[in-house]
Amino acid sequence: MLNYYDPSQHRPDPNQDLGTPARLSEKQIALTIDGLEISVPEGTSVMRAAALAGITIPKLCATDNLEAFGSCRLCAVQIEGRRGYPASCTTPVSEGMDVTTQNGKLAKLRRNIMELYISDHPLDCLTCPANGDCELQDMAGAVGLREVRYGFEGANHLDAPTDDSNPYFSFDASKCIVCSRCVRACEEVQGTFALTIDGRGFDSKVAAGQDEDFMDSECVSCGACVQACPTSTLMEKSVIDQGVPEHSVVTTCAYCGVGCSFKAEMKGDQLVRMVPYKGGDANHGHSCVKGRFAFGYATHKDRIKTPMIRDSINEPWREVSWEEAIQFSARRLKEIQAKYGRESIGGITSSRCTNEETYLVQKLIRAAFGNNNTDTCARVCHSPTGFGLKTTLGESAGTQTFDSVMKADTILVIGANPTDAHPVFGSQMRRRLRQGATLIVADPRRIDLLKTPHGGHMLHLPLRPGTNVALINSLAHVVVSEGLEDQAFIEARCESGAYQAWRDFILEERNSPEALEAVTGVAAEKVREAARAYAEVHNGAIYYGLGVTEHSQGSTMVMGIANLAMATGNIGREGVGVNPLRGQNNVQGSCDMGSFPHELPGYQHVADPAVRDRFEAVWKVKIDDEPGLRIPNMFDSAIAGTFKALYVQGEDIAQSDPNTQHVQAALTSLDCLIVQDIFLNETAKYAHVLLPGSTFLEKNGTFTNAERRINRVRKVMPPVAGKEDWEVTQDLANALGYPMNYSHPSEIMDEIALLTPTFTGVNYAKLEQQGSIQWPCNDSHPDGTPTMHEVDFPIGKGHFAVTEYVPTEERTTRRFPLLLTTGRILSQYNVGAQTRRTANSQWHDEDVLEIHPSDAELRGIRDGDWLGVSSRVGHTVLRCRISDRMQPGVVYTTFHHPGSGANVITTDSSDWATNCPEYKVTAVQVEKVSQPSRWQQNFQDFDRRQKDYLENASADEPAPMGK
Amino acid sequence: MSGQGLDQLVKMVNQISANMHGATDEQAADKVATHLQKFWARSMKAQILAYADDGGEDLTPISRKAVEKLREVRAAG
Repeated sequence: MLNYYDPSQHRPDPNQDLGTPARLSEKQIALTIDGLEISVPEGTSVMRAAALAGITIPKLCATDNLEAFGSCRLCAVQIEGRRGYPASCTTPVSEGMDVTTQNGKLAKLRRNIMELYISDHPLDCLTCPANGDCELQDMAGAVGLREVRYGFEGANHLDAPTDDSNPYFSFDASKCIVCSRCVRACEEVQGTFALTIDGRGFDSKVAAGQDEDFMDSECVSCGACVQACPTSTLMEKSVIDQGVPEHSVVTTCAYCGVGCSFKAEMKGDQLVRMVPYKGGDANHGHSCVKGRFAFGYATHKDRIKTPMIRDSINEPWREVSWEEAIQFSARRLKEIQAKYGRESIGGITSSRCTNEETYLVQKLIRAAFGNNNTDTCARVCHSPTGFGLKTTLGESAGTQTFDSVMKADTILVIGANPTDAHPVFGSQMRRRLRQGATLIVADPRRIDLLKTPHGGHMLHLPLRPGTNVALINSLAHVVVSEGLEDQAFIEARCESGAYQAWRDFILEERNSPEALEAVTGVAAEKVREAARAYAEVHNGAIYYGLGVTEHSQGSTMVMGIANLAMATGNIGREGVGVNPLRGQNNVQGSCDMGSFPHELPGYQHVADPAVRDRFEAVWKVKIDDEPGLRIPNMFDSAIAGTFKALYVQGEDIAQSDPNTQHVQAALTSLDCLIVQDIFLNETAKYAHVLLPGSTFLEKNGTFTNAERRINRVRKVMPPVAGKEDWEVTQDLANALGYPMNYSHPSEIMDEIALLTPTFTGVNYAKLEQQGSIQWPCNDSHPDGTPTMHEVDFPIGKGHFAVTEYVPTEERTTRRFPLLLTTGRILSQYNVGAQTRRTANSQWHDEDVLEIHPSDAELRGIRDGDWLGVSSRVGHTVLRCRISDRMQPGVVYTTFHHPGSGANVITTDSSDWATNCPEYKVTAVQVEKVSQPSRWQQNFQDFDRRQKDYLENASADEPAPMGK
Repeated sequence: MSGQGLDQLVKMVNQISANMHGATDEQAADKVATHLQKFWARSMKAQILAYADDGGEDLTPISRKAVEKLREVRAAG
């Protein structure tokens, strides 16, 4: 007998559609299908059981990422002892059941059903975009449909219009069979509920929003409906244009920290479409508008295809060979070190590049530059997570898998906006909220998660920007003072001295919600309600984002969160935990790989001689025992004249870092700036060497997502300039006289595994076999570690840290009476270099300033007005959007477009422990204006000039062809 | 480094002092000194030590104590 129990839903072939979702009951039910005995978990449908037994039952409205619906009736079967022809998708198995899936009666029934479907369906199969990839076509073949007796003359939908409004897919209503798969995907998978079936009976049709165009509806273009559609009704425009792909490669998305797995579906070396991969452990076959559709930047005309150099940023670029660009860079770096000293140069690793590439850049800096002046863009997003979690829990990483949220009873989201910034995980959260979990959101803005359709109990704590620590302290005060602590956990798992000190501190009356109400702006009773909702349930899970870290007390807040989780025993099992939602695809990985100036890979401090010994033995070079400069310190030192050269891989500090004018001054002070990127980004406009980067489609490697999951990135097309990014770093090291001889990223990973105790068991062969690995992966956890801290902490006992609330110095004054906070939106990604070069800009073509109606009225401002926004460091102009998502006194914007100058206003204020910039709090004034700011005018001039320098780049010699 | 760079370092060390908790000022200063030793670059440590030598007038009392402890830590090697 075949036995099927699959606790992991995707272990059956992820490319096969088993018709209905897996059931995880441990009780096995035995039945017979077409004479074959099989045993499956209780609750499994007859359809799925048959598919597992290798028997295919025809189907149209069923697919295994949606609950069974039973509308098409094509999957009818006969069951011994039961009347009629039950639908196998909606019929659960029962003990001893005897099922027949094929006989004359069933064949006739199915043919008749298909005949009815086809009588109202165009017969243009040969010219249909779904030709060769159409379930309706397949089923017509499977049931042996040979004629349609009804003719095509009667009432039909063959002239129904096509909705082409979405830039990525079209909706051709004439091809629709009203199976509801799209509607159900929008509800069950995505959770947006944008689609519905309008009308009844023969008039039934799929409608977006209030019967609007897709673009005008609340559709978020995640693509779940397109994927679910069994016909060509919902179809990618790229497939309509190019035809059905011929091969596919599984790889990992290079957008946010969710790290979705996709099948890159190809024709030769052309990418036709990205389809979310059901076997992906982070996304289970779901996607968002960025990963699913916004890949056109990879072949955009703006791609840098040739290495370029110049002596000054006030002259045009010169196109040169790789060899010359690398030699030029090495020469300049050596000259500068000879003149200004070993510590006068440094580099920045990328959170967008692979682990292997990041590892190599920091190795280049430590081994070939001979100093520790390495940092990464995580400095400006999650460095407080590293510091805070390492101090309290002993490891700089989130504690859970994404799937863990499905066991959470209360979900506490602090300073994060998952439906926009981590959309696929946002959808999973919403799934759990629809099952009844309680949601608490601590955020100055009313984020969309609070509007989850059919969600359970929801509580919003709209705190004032900059008062996170006051809020977390008051939540903890309620937990302790109302006796909601998990004493058993604390006694067994936490350091008692530190705990007592923390407990005494948190119990002080000044930490009560009543005392802090005036500070946070959140009613004490609401804080008490939230604390109880988190602490009184079995499983409370905390998710947080940059609204926690990007503050002057970012590190303190991270520790406050860890304190709260430990005090309530919400650590060390599924459904609980402390989870930083990482912004970029490989923020976790870039931190793991030793990008920070004080830590070698695996968070091993450079001052530890034993650690250095191990690295020195493998790297065959002496490693500096002092930490190097962090990004903001590099800028300060550049302006002071002691820091002279910088190598930046895949990071746009000129746009993403705060206080733009300060950053520009620093970059202009450098004697040599080497930028490796796929476009002429803002930073590259200040560069002397521009090395073409490769996209994630053009290289091999790994990314590590927010749940510590190491996923393979696989090359599907050759790099446009001939080299993967790691090869460029390797060439530079060799030119500097430090030999590197890797022939494939897998060899780099082997070296990482050799030197990083949490990666000992990681290698490409295991990644192929397991699909993905969550570190730590070593002798004690050979297959990886989905849930951290189950038995103990890496530091032994958990450490409670006293979290005194120290208000930020950035506060409102009469001159700057409003607080500006910044964030992200769904369709754009970070600095927008990628997404702005796709049709995603149709959703967001400029950054706007959101302001509360009462603040707007006070200033005589109307929607769409140009607003001058000033802080103590700068001034810019943005268009106004009046929004009651904001609280009075708080304004909000994004920095996806460089010309907006959002970071011209943000200041040098930063986290006390890590210098992570305080993007979330800037005191500003807002007023109506009629022209761009002076910075913006200068920006436009500079931008125009630099683009001219690129367009007029001279070629001294033939451009290099490939490697 | 001078001017703005140095101002920034002074601001940073004072901010660390304001956020580091200790039962006594002595303990807090110990923690601040450890933090500086662990996270600051060689050049930054040298500058703050030189600044303290010159009087270090804008250092808060805990910062001043911490910088002196940093000097001891570094002297001890």
